[in-house]
Amino acid sequence: MKSDAEIQSNDRVPGSDARHSAVAVEDVSFTYHGGERPALRGITFEQAAGEMIGIMGESGAGKSTLAKCLNYIIPGFEDGEFRGVVRIGSRPLADTRVCDVAPMVGMVFQDFEAQLFSTNVAHEVAFAMEQIGMERAEMAARIAAALEAVGLAGFERRDPTSLSGGEKQRLAIASVMALRPSVIVLDEPTTDLDPEGKAEVFALIRRLRAQGISMIVIEHEAEELRDCDRILILHQGEIIADDPPHRVMTRLELLERCGIHPGDLNRLLARVGISAHARSVADAEALIRKALHLAADGEGCRRVLAERAPAARTGPSAEVPRPPASPAVLAPPLVEIEGLTHVYAEGARALDGVNLTISAGEFLAIIGQNGSGKTTLAKHIVGLLRATEGRVLLGGRDRERLAAAETAREVGYVFQNPDNQIFAATVEEEVAFGPRNFGLVADEVERRCARVLRAVGLDHARERDPFLLGKGERQRLAVAAVLALEPRLLILDEPTTGLDYREQRRMMELVSELHRAGTAIVIITHTPWLVAEYAQRAVLMRAGKKLFDGQVRELFAEPELLASSSFRAPEVTALGRRFGVTALSVEELASWLEAAR
Amino acid sequence: MPIYLYLDRATAIHRIHPTVKVFAIFAVFWSVYWVDHPLALLPIGLLLMAAAQFTGAWPNFYRLRWLFIMVVFFTTLAWMVFYRVGKPLMVIWPIYVSRASLTFGLGRGLKLAELLATSVLFLSTTKVEEFAVGLSSLGVPYRAGFAITLAFRLVPLFIDSALTVVQAQRLRGHDFDRGGPFERIKRYVPVMVPVFMGALRKANNMAMALEARGFGKNHRPTSFIGYPVQLSDLCSFAIMGALGVGYFLIYYLGYGAINAG
Repeated sequence: MKSDAEIQSNDRVPGSDARHSAVAVEDVSFTYHGGERPALRGITFEQAAGEMIGIMGESGAGKSTLAKCLNYIIPGFEDGEFRGVVRIGSRPLADTRVCDVAPMVGMVFQDFEAQLFSTNVAHEVAFAMEQIGMERAEMAARIAAALEAVGLAGFERRDPTSLSGGEKQRLAIASVMALRPSVIVLDEPTTDLDPEGKAEVFALIRRLRAQGISMIVIEHEAEELRDCDRILILHQGEIIADDPPHRVMTRLELLERCGIHPGDLNRLLARVGISAHARSVADAEALIRKALHLAADGEGCRRVLAERAPAARTGPSAEVPRPPASPAVLAPPLVEIEGLTHVYAEGARALDGVNLTISAGEFLAIIGQNGSGKTTLAKHIVGLLRATEGRVLLGGRDRERLAAAETAREVGYVFQNPDNQIFAATVEEEVAFGPRNFGLVADEVERRCARVLRAVGLDHARERDPFLLGKGERQRLAVAAVLALEPRLLILDEPTTGLDYREQRRMMELVSELHRAGTAIVIITHTPWLVAEYAQRAVLMRAGKKLFDGQVRELFAEPELLASSSFRAPEVTALGRRFGVTALSVEELASWLEAAR
Repeated sequence: MPIYLYLDRATAIHRIHPTVKVFAIFAVFWSVYWVDHPLALLPIGLLLMAAAQFTGAWPNFYRLRWLFIMVVFFTTLAWMVFYRVGKPLMVIWPIYVSRASLTFGLGRGLKLAELLATSVLFLSTTKVEEFAVGLSSLGVPYRAGFAITLAFRLVPLFIDSALTVVQAQRLRGHDFDRGGPFERIKRYVPVMVPVFMGALRKANNMAMALEARGFGKNHRPTSFIGYPVQLSDLCSFAIMGALGVGYFLIYYLGYGAINAG
């Protein structure tokens, strides 16, 4: 891979001009065709050449709409009422075409599947250059440089569909980089990625910024935007904050109000009474040691914490009691998986001799990198796949011998994308679909609909068209539709993907409530804090094998094991380990530190 | 499972100029059109099998084996219902088995299978980008050619999406196999609606991403890969041209048809 200096000297953006801002947005407002209120209202900001700006805000705040204004998709592609001016360098974007703006502004979308069109990586990068009529020799040189810069050199002949999520997103970035735009806009580029894929993309973003490319990154997680020069917060279509990260990220109340994950470190600092911004875990550690007068020596600190905060025992086997599990945990296993192997038709071994037991009332998280076999395992539990070897028992009975109705009563499965199941004209009809299929009488269907819609907070929307609901509401509707079958075990595949922090919390509180009511929960997720704060037990998968099966705290006490599976603990856990304890939440570590003060 | 049929191999057939490959498809379709008798279709079948062996395309034929079997079987069966010619060997109403109906049905089944096999071979050896170049060099406007090739890319994605939706609805107890033919069609509404909505959303996202990558800036975009015409291309062109002429002559001279007597 090229060094940053080499890249800077060879590939520096020719269009960047120090006399003008890279981007100037002047009083931009936009209302979608048929929209009830403006998606953007009076947006004004400038971006200096080479600056990196983060944009945050809740779902529907106008982030993606603003991004689309920057490359003329709005108003060039989307219908609606547009006012204001967007300038790229000195050029105002008006009376032009989206394709004419492409060489100036590169856009990377959240949905990486929809932006890859070609049959191999080299063709993918070449696509945009072919469109502007570039000479073949120049294209070859730029393809090599772009792939080198994103760490995909040697992948030229690979089929893009065979790449991992992180690789696909880096390829999408390479394909816009090849045109050498002066500005690159990334709209939630890491939404579907595992922690390793996420880290790959953000490392690349930092390298591009070092080349002098002006970057605009839309993101839900404040932690990821610490390296920005500025962060803009959008709320209901307006900019309500435009400051450097250290100012924005310490305004915790504002962040939470805007549906933004405020980041563990600053939340912790605030909890222990330190008014400062931590740029890293090491930074937070130093601030805490200084403020709380904890010794720099790790062993000494461990001793102090162990003495003053009895709950905070040290070491991987340390077991701090979590909220008591429901009595059902002691019941016989709900699911028993014995030596399960699954080989797909093309020969890929997705599962390799997995053994797993799930008891009634448990809350289990299945984690691991993309392609590690998590979803395949879940699909075996609900009977969507047939085992190559081994078997799955539901309530002691061989799942392959159970009728669909019997399986559905035992296990419900909520797909990652709620739009894979929604079809009915109203919310109520959607929920009633499953119970009716199982031949329940009208009164019972009505009773279940009312109960589950109340549980997911959609009882006010019974008559609404499901396609008009927001993503978070559609996700809750999908859960309700499965819950109406009253399964003893509910499996949720990435239920928080694409949701903002507030919606993620709401979804997880719903799941937690179901768990407390006695439903066993299996959640497949890439989000470390969800696992830490909600799950009791974790299964770590890698290459189709079960690498770890035990208490969440034990797992997060093994950073090397996590790293080997492309997963990582939440920052608060990483920080806690510097003090010799394995904390699972900000509240937990803060209380221990307070006790040790 | 890979969702596309293209197999990245370095065979001579893979290297043939895309325009010649498009012409070759046309030549095979043309040749198949003029004859009905299975024996007349046999040489083309053997040629396609040799090409499958040479290009290593058998895995794709294996993936689609049930489609081939069903095409040949049901076409043969269907024509034994409608082509009631010749002395009957057996009649199980409505199936009329005679030497002529059996031969005709089998011939029609083989025809369809050969058309399908030609398409599979083409997609196994030709990238969609090359397909677009081939269409463009035959005079098809770039945007139209790109739209055609985009359809080849999207269909597998939509099939994949439809399979996921079927799984989701089955898990909610939906039985797709209940009732008569019309009832069964109706029972696919819970699949069609999400797939259709998803397709609209994906098409919109893709259109946006295409424009954002400069699609439409030039009427005649350049091509990253050069396709110089080689001697092997000219030879292939001549062979496929000869195949087409040869089969037309077979038809013109009165061979290749089925004798109803």
